[in-house]
Amino acid sequence: MAAQPQIPVSVLTGFLGSGKTTLLSHLLRQPELSRAAVIINEFGEIGLDHELVAASDDTVIALTTGCLCCKVRSDLTETLHDLLRRLDTGTLPRPFDHIVIETSGLADPAPILHALMTDATLAERVTLGSVVTTVDAVAGEGTLTREAVSRKQVAVADRIVLSKLDLAGGDAGALLRRVAALNPGAPTLRATHGRIEAASLFADPRPNAKPDIDAWLAHVPAKWPPVRRQGHAPLNESDAHEHGHADHDAEVRAYTLVRTAPIRAVALTLFLEALAEHCGADLLRLKGIVNIAENPERPAVIHGVQHIFHAPAWLERWPSADRTSRMVFITRRIPQDWVELLLDAISAEVKCVAPAGPAKIAASW
Amino acid sequence: MSGVPIDLVAELLRASLAAWRLAGEAHARDGAIVIDLAGSERSVTIAPKPDDAMFRWLVTVDGRKRPAVSLLAVLRQVRAALDPDFAATRVRVTVAPLLV
Repeated sequence: MAAQPQIPVSVLTGFLGSGKTTLLSHLLRQPELSRAAVIINEFGEIGLDHELVAASDDTVIALTTGCLCCKVRSDLTETLHDLLRRLDTGTLPRPFDHIVIETSGLADPAPILHALMTDATLAERVTLGSVVTTVDAVAGEGTLTREAVSRKQVAVADRIVLSKLDLAGGDAGALLRRVAALNPGAPTLRATHGRIEAASLFADPRPNAKPDIDAWLAHVPAKWPPVRRQGHAPLNESDAHEHGHADHDAEVRAYTLVRTAPIRAVALTLFLEALAEHCGADLLRLKGIVNIAENPERPAVIHGVQHIFHAPAWLERWPSADRTSRMVFITRRIPQDWVELLLDAISAEVKCVAPAGPAKIAASW
Repeated sequence: MSGVPIDLVAELLRASLAAWRLAGEAHARDGAIVIDLAGSERSVTIAPKPDDAMFRWLVTVDGRKRPAVSLLAVLRQVRAALDPDFAATRVRVTVAPLLV
């Protein structure tokens, strides 16, 4: 029996009143999401949002038992299992090929992503799609200032949608700069009266689709001015790397590590281990394309949310002639210089312990 | 010897203290690294391994020596010695395929 295609699960998040439900309502009318099942998490005993969403059959499910991020393992995973069971048994009014979860405005999206990434039985059937975050152009700046969870919602996004621009008088320059500083890798799109093309928000779920990594790498400059360090020269000229960092809010910082020299697989593993060990909760999101010394023809794509990482995925080939390793970090109070030094020092130690030689990378790595 | 430039390790430890929000300094001194934590009597020294040892680093906390097999182990030991609130998070690799 042929394996069933995995169903993408996209997460729509954003602070209270930022326009998630309006956006979703418009999205569900578009062909790309015409076969989507929707899970709406509402905070409060009486849910209303699901009544406002255009599709109103049994493929719209309201979770009103509390904030999704607090009860995610039970409520969300049970709901997903139930949806899949009903899909398999044909007891839904219509089948679905995409699931959209609208979180409550107060939800921290990280536990939701963790649940989607780590439930072994779910993993056979679903795959994490895009994380879309709405930001209100009118109140967004104030919300980002006051509410830590709203900064986190922006920080973990694959796409950011600026809503209520019509009410903001069209001037959102400061907000756009702030959002870009929090998450420079995520394209920021504008919704007019909640309208936006679904295709621009959700990654192509088809097998062998072009990796979404291109989208966020396109927004990360490959070359940034070098950071000056005190008291230590680069290990060698070819490894002289260039760095960058965005302006940032007080807590959340986004920056990119760039390495021209290939990175040994074990060095990358130890590096990620150290990051998780010492600052897992503050590593909001890490995405990267890495030139692994043992397999330089095929870039490894890495992706992590806090201390949870996907096993690297190997692309068939480099998307362009640029073979530099680029890792985009979105962190809460993790200094860039520490991350840079950590990778340098671990790479230096690995080089000393196991000088480079012909090696085959383990297929399971 | 560990083979890793001692200045690089000192710089890493200095940056680590800042990343862990601990006020202190790390100095390379006589081929080892000495950590001075503000307001603490604790003495922490990190030295490269002796030539014949199987480990790579020797971490001394208040006179007690412990071997460390890697810089990762050094960081773990140093932080455990200096930061009573430290609770390591282990990396977890998902079963789900990577989003592409």
